[in-house]
Amino acid sequence: MEENQKKELLELFADKLTRAARLYLDNCTRCGVCIEACHVYQSMPETRYTAVSRAQNIRRLYEKYFKLSGKIAPWWNEAVELDDAWMDRVWETAYTCTGCRRCMTFCPFGIDTGLIQSIAKLLLIGSDREPKVLTMLADVSISKGRNIEATKKSFAQAVRNLEAEVIEKWRSEGGEEAVPLDVQGADVLYVALAGKHSIVPAAAIMNAAGEKWSLSYFEAVNFGAFVGNPKKTKEIAQRIIDEAERLKVKEVAICECGTAYRVMKHMTGKHSFNVITFVELIARYLREGRIKLDKSKIDARITYHDPCQIARQGGIYEEPRYILKHLTDDFVDLQSNRRASYCCGGGGGLVIMGDKEFRMKSAKVKVDEVKATGATILATACENCHSQLSDLMEYYGLETKVQFVSGLVADALVQETASRKVPAATSEEPQLQLTAKAG
Amino acid sequence: MIDRLYYFIMVPMVYLAVAWCLIGIAAKIVRLLKAPQHPTTLQIFPETKTPLLAALVDTFTLPTVREHRPLLWFFLMTFHVAFVLLIVAHLDLIPQLSIVSGASHHMIGHGAVGVALTVSVLYLLFRRFRAPVRELSVPSDYILLLLLFCLFLTGDVISWANSWGQNGFVLSKQDFGAYLNGLVKFTFQDPSEVLSGGHYTVIAVHVLLANLFLMILPFSKIMHSFFALPLNALRRA
Repeated sequence: MEENQKKELLELFADKLTRAARLYLDNCTRCGVCIEACHVYQSMPETRYTAVSRAQNIRRLYEKYFKLSGKIAPWWNEAVELDDAWMDRVWETAYTCTGCRRCMTFCPFGIDTGLIQSIAKLLLIGSDREPKVLTMLADVSISKGRNIEATKKSFAQAVRNLEAEVIEKWRSEGGEEAVPLDVQGADVLYVALAGKHSIVPAAAIMNAAGEKWSLSYFEAVNFGAFVGNPKKTKEIAQRIIDEAERLKVKEVAICECGTAYRVMKHMTGKHSFNVITFVELIARYLREGRIKLDKSKIDARITYHDPCQIARQGGIYEEPRYILKHLTDDFVDLQSNRRASYCCGGGGGLVIMGDKEFRMKSAKVKVDEVKATGATILATACENCHSQLSDLMEYYGLETKVQFVSGLVADALVQETASRKVPAATSEEPQLQLTAKAG
Repeated sequence: MIDRLYYFIMVPMVYLAVAWCLIGIAAKIVRLLKAPQHPTTLQIFPETKTPLLAALVDTFTLPTVREHRPLLWFFLMTFHVAFVLLIVAHLDLIPQLSIVSGASHHMIGHGAVGVALTVSVLYLLFRRFRAPVRELSVPSDYILLLLLFCLFLTGDVISWANSWGQNGFVLSKQDFGAYLNGLVKFTFQDPSEVLSGGHYTVIAVHVLLANLFLMILPFSKIMHSFFALPLNALRRA
């Protein structure tokens, strides 16, 4: 590694040394309590897949370049040089960890491996070694934000094509748009993903609740967060913030996408609007009696996977369970649930990056827990988790079907009138473009 | 020559070690306070209504360790509680601070505190030699535990063996008090004048190890004793 590049990388490292980062890097006692926390280690018991081992890859660089002891006696804490070979270890820290932060609930000090992982990701970006697919997707999102006026018309047309499917699930009153756009003063701005599965059920549910809502022009997913680029993360989130402020909405409801929710709720400061997950909104409708669900629609045992980014990182534990208990009398939790839930194994951008073999093997512990419930439906509230869990069920030959909470709710909506007039969609009309299936 | 070395260890080096330790801790805290605050929350949910209280409980009762590693928790709690008692017992030796009755020849705990520390530190050391903890450990982990073990062992010898002589106590709590009194008052008196007897060498080794411990402390992971609470507070709020 050239000296100039090393210097630049160390500057990036130094920029990340907040008070919290220093505390996390200075105080690990390597007690090993976190060892079993990681789903990867539970599934593939190799020391390198423990939270502490991943953190040590960064801590040993910190020791070398930012601590006196590393300069005087590098052997004391095994300080290491930043070089090309060590960058492979940095990669391991960044991309064998999904950033689920389960280890933080084991550590007696609460050391956040996710934060240490963010240093690793930044070093990889600085040395041009980050997964290019994530950077490319982040750039596409940013570009869309900058050129939104040019794409608005085609987006609106694509949305119109979905209205028939929305009406099939919930027949709106005459004259009402099934998927409203650009509604000034809307109570809810719903931010979906670039796919109809994220729009149609949500639209039906909000229409059923008589919500004054508007669909965002932007997709919720934040690839900047996956790749670990704080600047791009902010820019991608800012598009939605600007839109919400322009429309003067009261709430921004993020679709079933964990990372999008965490970024908008916890990583972008305070806003003039409230940020909620879509499952919170559904639970509110149920509590207020604004929607009713037909339990007879589902004749199956349901279990629920807590997406890390909305559960451990967002505190949304009970709302999805409240909803699911309105859908079935046969709900059963996974053995490790809520705060203790294992990651699905696809977080942190892993689903998008490929390497399916690693994803499948590293999440076997999750599959074992699903199998133990005997559930035939595995519900979740995150696109990323949905993709990963679906892959897992197929890989391990489980019959369990992975479904979004919103999809289950939309299919069980109770509408008094029996007769429906459903307009057919024409195949010539433009379809919503799928950017990527990730949340 | 050996007398001068003992004197250096027992008096000037103690002052140097304490000063070094205090300056090191202060520098570390200042450096930390100068660092920018993290821009986003690092909280783990669910929230608690009393995050500070929860962080205090996390810090002083180690609930996550109790849940996932009960045996380690037992020895960690033994170690930390005994360490606090050890500090109290040493402060009790200073005549001006006399915490419990000055009439007893024994230190607080009658030697049990030292044994609890020695046993628990041995457990912490031995578990480092077993996988997977061995694979995670670095040289400082072993050296610090070894240093503590030797420090506690010499402390045990002083507090237990001094009562095994045919003539009863060779050195009593009052003798140690006289030595510490000289240190507190900066008399620079030769400690061998108040700590006479066959155990003086053991005491000198004990003090040397304590000096080394104090000098290493600010630059080691032992600083977690100061930062465990702010760390847990980050997780809680």
